[in-house]
Amino acid sequence: MNREQTRNAEGGTRSKADRLRALNVQQRVEVELDENGLPVGMRDAGCKLRVVEDVGEIWRIDDEWWRAPIHRRYLEVIIEGGRRVVLFEDESTGEWWMQKPA
Amino acid sequence: MTRTPHLTSDGAACCWIPLFALRCETARQPELAALPVALVGSDDTRRVWQVSPLARHAGVKPGMTVSQAIGLCPALKLCEPDPVHYDAQFSRLLAALGQVSPVIEPAELGRVFVGTDGLERLYGSVEQIIEAIKRGTRNAERGTVEESSLACSAFPLPRSAFRVGWGRGKFISWVAATRAKLGDAVIVPVGGEAKFLAAQPLAALPLDSDTYRRLRQLGVRTLGALAALPEEAVVSQFGRAGRLLWRLAAGRIAEPVVGRVAPEPIVAALTFFSPVGERALLVHAIDKLVDRALGDPRRSGWRVQVVRVRAELEHGASWLAEATLKDPSADRERITAPLETLLERSPPAGAVERLVVEFTAFAAGTAELQLFARDAHAAARAGRRRALRTAAQEIKLRLKRSLLYHVIEVQPWSRLPERRYALIDYEP
Repeated sequence: MNREQTRNAEGGTRSKADRLRALNVQQRVEVELDENGLPVGMRDAGCKLRVVEDVGEIWRIDDEWWRAPIHRRYLEVIIEGGRRVVLFEDESTGEWWMQKPA
Repeated sequence: MTRTPHLTSDGAACCWIPLFALRCETARQPELAALPVALVGSDDTRRVWQVSPLARHAGVKPGMTVSQAIGLCPALKLCEPDPVHYDAQFSRLLAALGQVSPVIEPAELGRVFVGTDGLERLYGSVEQIIEAIKRGTRNAERGTVEESSLACSAFPLPRSAFRVGWGRGKFISWVAATRAKLGDAVIVPVGGEAKFLAAQPLAALPLDSDTYRRLRQLGVRTLGALAALPEEAVVSQFGRAGRLLWRLAAGRIAEPVVGRVAPEPIVAALTFFSPVGERALLVHAIDKLVDRALGDPRRSGWRVQVVRVRAELEHGASWLAEATLKDPSADRERITAPLETLLERSPPAGAVERLVVEFTAFAAGTAELQLFARDAHAAARAGRRRALRTAAQEIKLRLKRSLLYHVIEVQPWSRLPERRYALIDYEP
């Protein structure tokens, strides 16, 4: 019996109120980089290429080294139309993701 | 959680202690009995809330500004209100009356209805039931509630403070209680309601000032005079409210006493995205969960007596802490304080994956006290919650499903943005 089954057996089915849906979950994107490794264009799930007009702040997050280490390089960019988005590169897989700015 | 049906009773005894809060103060500070005393309002400290007979004799009236009151009565002794104390005293009275009847409906601070249907087999006639109620309140005063572990150790109101009225339905019993002498009871026999009500003043009805003025202008001074008018004529003048007033005046309505059963445990749980070991973060999470559990509508009117925290730890272990509050409370800080001590004293042996807060035992409180004391904004919250509930039901009806969510903090300290906040189904 796994943990979830144990919970249900002890306390009945989980209530609706116990269901969490994370906010600001990252979305997979494809990013075109220039020779300096900075994004010049990004393609989201809609497959439309959007030109990156400016790159702002860049920072890193290295966390949870004690279990599944997380290494992310974050970039705040302005895409065509003036929208501000946050991109990050998961350095352990090389994949690029997009998040809403804080 | 299954909803248990309400307990109801047509036979109603109204137990009323006028100026309850002021009497609590006088009982605590006997020297006040000989002075003109006024309690300052808890929501507006510039105004007087309850006034002792001596102060009233000097012209001080409830609602006056403090400066007006002192101007009229320079010897006036002003007291800051202590709502938590009044709340505790009233809870003791409710507990004592709960020993007499299972159907107890608190109406406001110092006024409670006791359902008496079926008590004849226990106590005998109505007079004997009233005697049992008086005995119960006296026991509460003396702190000698038999076979009770409830905290009735002190309820030092003067015996003569109680007035009891009995009749069919809450309105008649309430009017009867207002007619009773201090420490005495008035019984309105079944069938004698109209006769009893006929002589009562118009002010016995729950009237707004405008309706009262209009009725007086029409020459209506007593409930009998109102009941003598044709019902339809009153309805045409005052609408639906007029029908209710006419029926109350004529003794045609017997609102039953509606008791409440103690609620089943209230549970709030949180599953962390990644296990949490830091104590400060666990304390923060407990705070949030206690807040959420306190906001459960089923908690309304009840104070928490026993709170329990369960944690599921990494690698399948668990942790449990339970606290019994000496003074039941609906205040988050009072509830979380003993849990934080337990967490400090014997913390979980590993990182926590899931945290559950449960309120497992409750003590009765009143709606008035929510408005008045415990969590000062509880009544306002309750009003907003009612409005939200209605709106949510409407959305659900129109869209066939609820699309409302609540944003909650999960790990607001996390460096990873997707772990900070989450949506949870919103069920007001």
